[in-house]
Amino acid sequence: MEYEQAKSLLEKYGIKSIESRYIEDIEELKDFIKKTNGRVALKAISQNALHKSKAGLVELNVTIDDAEKRYNELIKKAKKYAPFKILAQKMAEPGIEIIIGGREDQQFGKLILLGLGGVFVEAFRDFSLRVCPITKYDAEQMINELKSKNVITYNGKAENMIIKLLLNVSKMLEENEIKELDLNPIIVRENGYDAVDLRIIE
Amino acid sequence: MIFMRFDLNPMMNPKSVAVIGASRDPSKVGHVILQNYIDAGFDGALYPVNKNISKGEKIIGQTAYRSVTEIKKPIDLAVIAVPAPAVPEVLEECGKAKVKTAVVISGGFAEVGNVELQNKIVEIAKKYNIAMLGPNCLGIMDPASKVDTLFLPTYKLSRPKIGDVSFVSQSGAVGSTILDLIAKEGFGLAKFISYGNAAYIDETDLLEYLMHDKQTKVIVMYIEGIKRGKEFIEVAKKVSKVKPVIVIKGGITEEGAQAAHSHTASLAGNSEAYEAVFKQFGFIRAKDLDDLLYFAKVFSSEDLPKGNRVAVITNGGGTGVLTTDAIYINGLKLADFSEETKKELRKVMPSIVNIRNPLDLAGDADEKRYSDALSIISKDENVDMIIVIVLFQTPGADSSVAEKLIYFKKNIDKPMVAISTGADYTQTHKLMMESSGLPVYDSPNAAASSLAELYKYWKYKNKIV
Repeated sequence: MEYEQAKSLLEKYGIKSIESRYIEDIEELKDFIKKTNGRVALKAISQNALHKSKAGLVELNVTIDDAEKRYNELIKKAKKYAPFKILAQKMAEPGIEIIIGGREDQQFGKLILLGLGGVFVEAFRDFSLRVCPITKYDAEQMINELKSKNVITYNGKAENMIIKLLLNVSKMLEENEIKELDLNPIIVRENGYDAVDLRIIE
Repeated sequence: MIFMRFDLNPMMNPKSVAVIGASRDPSKVGHVILQNYIDAGFDGALYPVNKNISKGEKIIGQTAYRSVTEIKKPIDLAVIAVPAPAVPEVLEECGKAKVKTAVVISGGFAEVGNVELQNKIVEIAKKYNIAMLGPNCLGIMDPASKVDTLFLPTYKLSRPKIGDVSFVSQSGAVGSTILDLIAKEGFGLAKFISYGNAAYIDETDLLEYLMHDKQTKVIVMYIEGIKRGKEFIEVAKKVSKVKPVIVIKGGITEEGAQAAHSHTASLAGNSEAYEAVFKQFGFIRAKDLDDLLYFAKVFSSEDLPKGNRVAVITNGGGTGVLTTDAIYINGLKLADFSEETKKELRKVMPSIVNIRNPLDLAGDADEKRYSDALSIISKDENVDMIIVIVLFQTPGADSSVAEKLIYFKKNIDKPMVAISTGADYTQTHKLMMESSGLPVYDSPNAAASSLAELYKYWKYKNKIV
């Protein structure tokens, strides 16, 4: 599913993604940087690269000063994964990266996953899994099962926010034809979050 | 009204049974099955069927028939033990004779790639509305209704006594191993069902049946795969509210390993999905057969606790320490005795006994010291569960201690288990206590992990995070 389409589907379920825009050239990038007031992330989006950061297709903290240079560098690296598009995103405030995901299981139907996110996902395999639809109790248990529980909830302070996110994602998975879903990472802070990367496979 | 796909009552409590493939040859499966029915003292009508006999012949003293259609009386259950290629015809005859249920023991179907033959017998079962278990299974054993379709001779495989644990196993081999082990343990069996290829009746049907079965207090399942996942979930949701289900999943399949396009799909494969379902719907997961037995006996004999605070009473200091470790490792904790408890204990205990939890009664502890400790500690509101360690090697520990523990087991309503490690003398007392309903474990971890499962199930039922 196209990034923008995925973003609006998530919005329908109350899950807000960080401000972003596809850009065609350097002028559009400069506009976006001015508008978002500071730093942006640049990502080359390609069907041929599952791990964007591993493939070197992410430039973080791009400013108006180094925009042109880094934009060109990214395009150079992305060429071997062509076709691709360039997505500019407002830089998220720092926080803890989590993953919320889903997949359609042949046996049991839609599954929902919560874990420590970002580059740690596969290294630590700290995740919990449930069948949709989940209840509030299930969501609480999912958080409770994680070794990183206290880290990702800021010792409980962000727990309700994550529970709400899980319940919304569960609803979205149930009501839509989604084969696989990755919201990885969602950057969680004590009192807010930004979904900075979305992947929905129909 | 409860809707189930099959009425399994005629299969589990049959008034009439036909054994098809019954034989005079003791090496034949059909012979053993018939003999087992006779040995078990089955008091319904028993009809051996063998198409090669002549009219009026008898097999093991029972009048035999050449076909079920010759019996001309109602038949609740047909046990089919003929070579696979002959099963369709036999089942067809069962249909014509209006047989209600059938257990197909014979192998040689989907498990060896013969899917077509398996589909054929399912079609016949559907056509005549026969509830069919198997093929490729051991079938059923129910000590109470004296049903025993197992083709394993009683002198080789011990049969457990009547009890309240029902055991459902896809695999016949795992199933019969566990039966043998259960017979060795103190707890009894309500029903044993080995369902083999699950061509028609599957694990979901059996789970649903056992949920309603009054004899069954605890359900134990060995599962390799689940056929109807969504229906299974619907039943699982209901059953865990009513009775505990202990499950062991065999076979970590890598079905989920098809090219994953997301982190989620690469993390959450097939076996993770099973784990998630079991967890979500309150099943108790055993990681091996030892766990399975440990958990089965604690759920069979204990009520659920109301918290995770454990009191430990011991006559060996080191074992008390190890038990303390096992308690914390398994997510439980040591109870803080109330002031009242401490005061009472001080009154009755000799000065060598340090009044704290674990309560070390010292190496010379006898029946009286155990009795005093238990009567005080069992009343303490800070105590949710009790572990009593008895090392029978010590001078004071003898049969009278075992008897006291049995007395307390019957008279206190908190979960209580014992740990006794040792050879023959210990094993004798272990059996004595277990057959009176007190679970006894060989190791601190076995005892603590079993109590921890009770506690987790209590939390699940009460939706406590």
